[in-house]
Amino acid sequence: MSNEFNIKNIAKLASINLSEQEQDSLSNDLSIILEHVNALSDLKLNSQQQEIFIHPLEKELELQEDEVVESLTHDEAISNAPESKDGKFVVPPSME
Amino acid sequence: MDASNLSIREINSLFTKKELKPSELYSKVFENAANSEAALHAHLTLFEEENIKKAAESDKRFSNGESASLLDGIPIAIKDNINIKNYKTTCSSKMLSNYTSPYDATVIEKLKEQNTLFTGKTNLDEFAMGSSTENSAFGLTKNPWNTDYVPGGSSGGSAASVGARSSIAALGSDTGGSIRQPASFCGLVGFKPTYGTVSRFGLVAFASSLDQIGPITKTVDDSRIIFSSISGEDSRDATSVINNQLNIPSDNTATIGVIKELMEDGISDEAKNEVNKVVEILKSKGYKVKEISIPIIKLSISIYYLIAPAECSANLARFDGVRYGLRVDGNTSYEMMENTRAEGFGAEVKRRILLGTYALSAGYYDEYYGKALQARKEMIDEFAKTFKDVDYLISPTTPTQAFKSGEKTSNPLEMYMSDLCTIPANLAGLPAISIPTGLSKDELPLGVQIMSKPLSDNSLLDFSEIIENEVQFDGQPKGWL
Repeated sequence: MSNEFNIKNIAKLASINLSEQEQDSLSNDLSIILEHVNALSDLKLNSQQQEIFIHPLEKELELQEDEVVESLTHDEAISNAPESKDGKFVVPPSME
Repeated sequence: MDASNLSIREINSLFTKKELKPSELYSKVFENAANSEAALHAHLTLFEEENIKKAAESDKRFSNGESASLLDGIPIAIKDNINIKNYKTTCSSKMLSNYTSPYDATVIEKLKEQNTLFTGKTNLDEFAMGSSTENSAFGLTKNPWNTDYVPGGSSGGSAASVGARSSIAALGSDTGGSIRQPASFCGLVGFKPTYGTVSRFGLVAFASSLDQIGPITKTVDDSRIIFSSISGEDSRDATSVINNQLNIPSDNTATIGVIKELMEDGISDEAKNEVNKVVEILKSKGYKVKEISIPIIKLSISIYYLIAPAECSANLARFDGVRYGLRVDGNTSYEMMENTRAEGFGAEVKRRILLGTYALSAGYYDEYYGKALQARKEMIDEFAKTFKDVDYLISPTTPTQAFKSGEKTSNPLEMYMSDLCTIPANLAGLPAISIPTGLSKDELPLGVQIMSKPLSDNSLLDFSEIIENEVQFDGQPKGWL
């Protein structure tokens, strides 16, 4: 496994604005952690199957009926918004 | 006799016989909170005033002989990543410091139906990421046995509260040991049920394929009572399962496996001695005990620290300053999001989001996340094979006793290693419990962990109760009552 990473690029992907100091310390931490998880590369696996499962009991996920059920009201759903107007979320412009 | 030291069944019996009123017990736990909170900081918020009326309603039910629930009038503390309607749910994060939940988690609905009283919301490592409750944006929680030491984490506030008797029991969440490790550090029982048996609806998600809500209690029976009250399939959590319990023997016809890989280097002699002590007791009772090897367990930390951060990076993408939580201004939406997440998340949360983002990024997915998924599947298969030979697996809960505050904060990997024994149960979805068994030479609690096959939670609790009765650990932190 390779441990080459560009901390600025990862931070951009994760939408987190990091200070120079954070970039240094997190870069160092990630190197140490990745070095440890590299132990996995030596693992000889019985199966080469790469299953994406989200349930350790391997429950098969079922689609729900398309039914109207009780849920949050509009006011409740927007009650924690940092900024809202006329029942809508308000955000800064997407482009300058 | 102090009622806050009693088990739920003992308290219910006193309520029923009208020898104790729920409101008297409620006052008592708040008296205990007044004695301990300044030193321990177990709760982030205490609900005393709001629940006095509810305690009086419990009084009335018992006085009229109308109470039908073992949890009626029992004061329970709730980890602050579980939503209670109209109360703050902060996850100990600056990101959610002003978030008020508009709904109840399923577990809270269920406890409300049982007329449980809530003491308040307890401190945790931010978004449940940590093993010491030192990552909270709102200050440390201390271990009630010795305040120089951590209470464990991430459910450290819940464990410290039950330890100091500012609640009778507590709910925590366990993604890699966050119920069992603090329970062990605080001399309590911590139970992580089989994945899916308890609905995660209303639990703020960290790593959805690993997260599970469960109890931290003084006794195994208390955990059993709470588990039976909060479990059940829930249409609002697609991963919840029908709680069809398997019966496996808990008497001495059962076979016990001691996990070799969790009794080797990296595990303290004191922790191993507790396992050996329990093994000797079980042998003397006629149980068959054998050593079991599951080599892939040694890779647990590596597998976990790819899968959990990967899921965390996806789950925490929702904190973008738009719909709820903190917002820090920026000229564009993107700048606003980047500034909000820079300001709102603490160091450990950033570390895990970045690690997960990297593991999932183009070019690295196969070698990191993909490989971890394969290894996880292999571990599940290995456990399934093992449970054909043995009914229960025993190990230490933690490699050592509680560590000192600040001891591991500068080295994240060292902190991660403290979850070595607990992570496998999350990766494989197994039920697992920590039971207190003794004290270290520093007079701090030690515990053992028992795991069993998926959906054998009730048998696991029965077996654990047998050990509890044999070990007779009756230690309790001093100075808080």
